[in-house]
Amino acid sequence: LTSGAELIRALERRRRDEVVPTTIEAVDRLLEGGLPRGKVTEIAGRGARLSIVVATLASATSIGEAAAFVDLNDAFDPQLGEAAGIDLRRMLWVRPNSLRQAVAAAEMLIGAGFQLVALDAGLPPLRGRVPDAAWVRLARAAEGNGAALLVSAPYPLTGTTSEAMLRAEASRARWRGGLLTAVETTLRLEKHRRKRPGEGARVSFHVEEA
Amino acid sequence: MRVACFFVPMFPLAARLRSEPELLHEAVVIVEGNGNHAHVVAATRRARKQGIRPGHSLVQARSILPKLIARGRDAACERTAEDALLEVAESFSPRVEDAGDGVAFVDITGTERLFGGQRAAGSGQEGNPEAPPAARRPLPAEHQLAAAAIQAIEAIGLPARVGIAASKLAARVAAELPQTPTVVAAGDEAKFLAPLPLARLSPALEAAAMLQRFGLTSIGDLARLPENEIASRLGEIGRELHFAARGIDPRPLIPRALPPEFREGMELEWPLVALEPFVFIANAALDRLSKRMEIQGFACKRIEITLTLEPDGYDARAIDLPAPTRDVKTILTLIRLDLEKRPPGAPVIGFTLVAHPDRPRRAQLSLFGPAALSPEKLATTIARLISMLGEERVGMPMTVDGHLPERNAIADFAPPPPPDTRRPPPRARGLLAARTFRPPIPVEVITDGQKIASIRGENIEGAVRICSGPWRIEEGWWRDVPASREYWDVELWGGGIYRVYCAGGAEGWFVDARFGV
Repeated sequence: LTSGAELIRALERRRRDEVVPTTIEAVDRLLEGGLPRGKVTEIAGRGARLSIVVATLASATSIGEAAAFVDLNDAFDPQLGEAAGIDLRRMLWVRPNSLRQAVAAAEMLIGAGFQLVALDAGLPPLRGRVPDAAWVRLARAAEGNGAALLVSAPYPLTGTTSEAMLRAEASRARWRGGLLTAVETTLRLEKHRRKRPGEGARVSFHVEEA
Repeated sequence: MRVACFFVPMFPLAARLRSEPELLHEAVVIVEGNGNHAHVVAATRRARKQGIRPGHSLVQARSILPKLIARGRDAACERTAEDALLEVAESFSPRVEDAGDGVAFVDITGTERLFGGQRAAGSGQEGNPEAPPAARRPLPAEHQLAAAAIQAIEAIGLPARVGIAASKLAARVAAELPQTPTVVAAGDEAKFLAPLPLARLSPALEAAAMLQRFGLTSIGDLARLPENEIASRLGEIGRELHFAARGIDPRPLIPRALPPEFREGMELEWPLVALEPFVFIANAALDRLSKRMEIQGFACKRIEITLTLEPDGYDARAIDLPAPTRDVKTILTLIRLDLEKRPPGAPVIGFTLVAHPDRPRRAQLSLFGPAALSPEKLATTIARLISMLGEERVGMPMTVDGHLPERNAIADFAPPPPPDTRRPPPRARGLLAARTFRPPIPVEVITDGQKIASIRGENIEGAVRICSGPWRIEEGWWRDVPASREYWDVELWGGGIYRVYCAGGAEGWFVDARFGV
C-alpha cells in the first residue's frame, strides 16, 4: 500500500469480502454491511422475510457465487426469482419435507462449499422440530467453511448461535387505484454481537409490473 | 526384459478372507466339490496347525477339528480379488498379464527409476548419518519395487509374494518361495533354479514326476543333462522342461486390455431377506470397489447391481450418479433407496456390483474471483440430497413459459465457473416475493357481487378489508381440461395479504400465494 486512498479501497474490499450484502440498503445498514461470512444470521417474524431472502440470493449469484436455497414450504417462484436478479444457474433449490431435513440439507450444502445458504422455514406451523444442538452444529459448519447462513423463520429458532437477529414486523400493504403496489415491513435489530440492538428500519417491496 | 510376478498364496482362501476379513483368525477351510466329494483346497494357519491339509476330505477335516468353518470356492470373490490384484499391478506398470488364480506378471523394464532413493526399511538407521554405510545404503530399485508392491497388495486385503527375474518362469518360481521378495539377477536364472526341487519347476507336467523316479531331484540335476538325450527320451515335453531348468522361458508377456468396469461381489452362505444385512455386506464391497478405483484414478458414474435370487433368477438394476464419485456412503444410500423403492421380491443368495468408471471432474479455482465449488464434493452432496429428498426436490430452478403463477421446473444443477474477478453486486430491485402455496389451499369464499367479502380455509380466516380483481387467466385452451381462473388480491382485516383464485367449473376457490411474509 502506497497511499491512504489505496488503504481505504483495500479495507472496503476486505469488508465486502467478509459479508454477503443483501443489497437492501436498510438491511445492510442494520447488519453492518450484510450477512457475515462464517456466521448465522436470522430473520424472524411475520414480515416480508422471503423478499429479503430472494434479494440476498440475487446479490450472491449476481457476483458469481454459488448459493443454495433450502425452501421448506416449497414457496419459491423461479419467475419472480429471475426478475429479482437471481442467476438461477448458480442457485441450488432444495425442497425438504421437514425442518429436520432442512437443517440436515443446510449442513450438507455448507460442507459442499456453498458460500451462501438460505434456509427458509416457511409459515407456521413449522413442519417438525429439531434439537437446539442442531443449530450449534450448523453454526460450527458455517464457521468452519466460511459460509454465510441465513435462517428465515416465523419465530426465532437459532437461539444463541446466531450472530445477528432481525425481527420483521407484520407487513402493511399499499394499494393504489384498487391495485396492490407494495408491501412495507418494519425491521428491528434484536441481537448483534458487535452492535447495540434496538435499531430499526422500514423497508418497502414493490409488486412486479405484469 | 525384467518381469515381476505378483503371487497370492492359497488364492481361493485369500480371496474369501478378503470378502470376510472377520474369518482371518479362525480355523477356516475352502472346499471344492459337494457332499462326500468335498475336499479341502486351502486352509488357514490355525486349521493347518491342527493338521488339516489341502486334499483332505471335508469329513476328514471335521473329524480333526469339529468346529472347523468350511466355505465353498466362490467364483465371484476370486474374480474380484484377481481384478483387484491386476489393478494394483497396473499401478506399477502398464504392461500386465493376467495369469489367473492370484498370479500377475508385470513387465517392470524401465520402471526401476521410479522406485529409487529409499533406505532399508526397518533398519532404524534411515535418518542417522552416523550409522554404518551398509545401513545407509539405498535398497536396490527392484527390491524397493517389490516391497512397495507387497505393501500395495496387502492394502487391498490380499497376502502377497513377489519374485523378479528375467523370465516369467523364473519370476514365478521366485515368487512362490516363502521368503519374499526374491530378486534373481539378470543371467542368474539357471544358478537360482539349480538347487530347487524339480516339483517347483512345473508341477503340472507329469514328466517332472518321471524325472524324479530317474533319480533327478533338483532342477540343477536336469539342467546338467544333455538337451538332446532328454528330448530323445521324453519328447517335446522333456525339451521344454530342460529349457525351463536352464531358466529359459520363450513365452512372451501378453498384456491385458484395461477393464471397462470394476466388479465386486460374492455368493452368500445363506439367503438374505432383510435389507440391513445386505447393506452391511454391500458397504464392504463398495469400499473395496472405491479403493480399486482410487488406485487407477477413477470415480464411479454408474453402478449396476445384480442380485442372485433364491431359488433361481436374477434382479438387475442400475443407478446413474449425478457426477462421478468414489464416496461409498453416497453410493450405498442410493442403492438402499432403490432397494427400498423396488424390493427384489425373493431372498438374495449372491450379488455383484459393477462400477462404470469415469474420470472425476476437476476445476481450476480462481485466485481473485469468488470461491468455486469442488465438482466432486458438489456431486456427492447432490447425490446425498437426492437420496434423502427425491430427485424432483433438488436442482436448479427453471422458469417456465405460461401464465399460471405456480409454474416451475427443475433441472440438473451445474453452475458455470465463477468470474475471474470479484465485483460488487448490483443494487436490489426490491421486488415483493409472493410465498407460493404448492398445492393451493382450498377456501370457502363469501362474495359480494364482484368482490370477496370473507374467506375461510386452513390457517386462513377473516373478513376482507381490501379486495382487488378479478383478473382472468386462461391457459392450455388446446388441452382437454384448459385452465381458466379468475384472480383477486385481498387483504384481511386481521392481517395477511393473499392471492385468491376461482377455478372454472366445480373446482371452487383457492388461495395460491401470500404476500409480505
